[in-house]
Amino acid sequence: MVIKSPQDFGAGILFILFGAVGLYVGSDLSFGSARNMGPGYFPMIICGLIALIGLIVAVKSLAIEGPAIERIQFRPIVFILLAIAAFGILIAEIGAVISSILLIMFAAYARRDVKPVETVIFAVTTAAFVVIIFVYALGQPMPVWWGR
Amino acid sequence: MEVFEHLATGFMAAGSLENLMFCLIGVVLGTLIGVLPGIGPIPALAILLPITFGLDPLSSLIMLAGIYYGAQYGGSTTSILVNMPGEASSVVTCIEGHQMARKGRAGAALAIAALGSFFAGTIGTVFIAAFGPPLASIAQQFNSPDYFALMLLGLTMAIVLAHGSVLKAVAMVLIGLLLGLVGTDINTGLTRYTFGLSGLWEGIDFLPLVLGLFGIVEIIRNLENPPSPREAISTRMRDMWPTKKEFKEAYPAALRGTGLGSLLGILPGGGAVLASFASYTLEKKISKNPRKFGTGAVEGVAGPEAANNAAAQTSFIPLLTLGIPSNPIMAIMMGAMIIQGIQPGAAVMTTRPDLFWGMVASMWIGNLMLVVINLPMIGIWVKLLSVPYRLLYPAILLFCAIGVYSTSTEPFMMVLMIVFTVFGYILFKLGCEPAPMVLGFILGPLMEENLRRSLVISRGDPTIFIDRPISATLLVATVLMLCLIIFPQFRKTREEAFQEE
Repeated sequence: MVIKSPQDFGAGILFILFGAVGLYVGSDLSFGSARNMGPGYFPMIICGLIALIGLIVAVKSLAIEGPAIERIQFRPIVFILLAIAAFGILIAEIGAVISSILLIMFAAYARRDVKPVETVIFAVTTAAFVVIIFVYALGQPMPVWWGR
Repeated sequence: MEVFEHLATGFMAAGSLENLMFCLIGVVLGTLIGVLPGIGPIPALAILLPITFGLDPLSSLIMLAGIYYGAQYGGSTTSILVNMPGEASSVVTCIEGHQMARKGRAGAALAIAALGSFFAGTIGTVFIAAFGPPLASIAQQFNSPDYFALMLLGLTMAIVLAHGSVLKAVAMVLIGLLLGLVGTDINTGLTRYTFGLSGLWEGIDFLPLVLGLFGIVEIIRNLENPPSPREAISTRMRDMWPTKKEFKEAYPAALRGTGLGSLLGILPGGGAVLASFASYTLEKKISKNPRKFGTGAVEGVAGPEAANNAAAQTSFIPLLTLGIPSNPIMAIMMGAMIIQGIQPGAAVMTTRPDLFWGMVASMWIGNLMLVVINLPMIGIWVKLLSVPYRLLYPAILLFCAIGVYSTSTEPFMMVLMIVFTVFGYILFKLGCEPAPMVLGFILGPLMEENLRRSLVISRGDPTIFIDRPISATLLVATVLMLCLIIFPQFRKTREEAFQEE
């Protein structure tokens, strides 16, 4: 089996998975009838269609030439997600200032050539800006420091 | 003249000092984000959405509309000066506008784009004022089957207009529909697809979804393939005025673009992208000298710029009168309205005339502000291009995170945003465009509800959809659209039109 269009093959598999999980999870919802639709009626039809399209896309990818899947670069996505996660988990505990600084530091490392001094200065400035604008000016519900 | 009465109501509401200020903030922020490399109106709206939540509904909608026009406008600026389209509808501007800039006519190209857009925006506003009320009264004739058929048509058009593979676009719309159904089923009160997570009982939150899919994925994409720093062509205020010859070439094109754009904007699935491509094709077809296209044809800037602005304006009509978003950007606007507690639709016009007309009036005000702000300040916007991306993206990321956190302090929202970032990243790697998904997401519950109701009325008989003239017409249009997709000649033009990106 030769996959001629890796991108489409991947997409096809993704759709099939999506449809299949949808059908499986939705299987205990009652389907009902056209006249009296159950909560499962519309979603099950949609899941079925998604899986069907996935199948067509996957089969076509074996026959028709298409683009390759671009190499996944782990550095950007990992650091960006870490940055968001750190901010989201920590802000309630340690406040907006430190969590903002952490987010910017993590995010900066999503690139290869980090300039540490510049990043620290930028992070501190941005955190100050965030507190002034979002907490004081706009009154957003965020703790500034910990223990509040 | 009722139209003027309505507009007067609107200008009263939108003209308050406070709302003028929010309109100004909106267009400035929109332009700011729109000028940045690679960020078009969808990510711009997604990133800036949270800051509008604290405002009252009218102010927030005014600001969002301002952000939308501003982002589109900022896109034109970068297209002309740097040859970098922020989004699909600026691609055409890139072709001719940048060529003009290279010939030393950057100022003129910017001025023509601005004036053409402003003119189109003015006509678009009048268009909404004139056709909004009659359309809303037609909308009151609409029944569940008609709504269902209309949404089907809208989704089909969105598929036709999506880039890349049609099948993938269909799947994206369907996945969107499914995601829209997550939560509690209103008819039975049962929860669906919540995986036992209480955070999903009320459905997937809109904000983490769009921010993840558009805002954050955009950042990761730019980090993987850094936009190469390009020299902006400099321009002076003095060179802004088009020559007589340029003006003569530009204004008929702008007129045609406005007409075409206004019409295409109303169609479900239509919008700025379709309008600008259609106008460009039209100008090239009717030109006496088609060979100058590609080398800096004035008509190729004036027509599409007018068309995309007119369409941007009139694409609000289906949302405001029928309560149905016609394209992904309107889906975001609708999401914002719902978060504000407004159910868009014909009822808004009668129950909240100040809101409806205020928004319409603010569109014109926003367009005026754009011309006034942008032409003299062009130098400042260009300077923005020299802010290094290594400083921009962490800041944008921080604003996304704060946006989600401040609207809901639930940590679950952050998790949801991370999930949609990962999902969006996978989609990007697999060549699937997420924009049609947002449209499906917004329409999912509405479609199900109307399908259910239709079939309850007809006792399960699907012929109800062809018995009613409105829904029958819409379904015929849908089928025609589907034929177009399959029809090879059309498919070829579609691919050609989009290959430039």
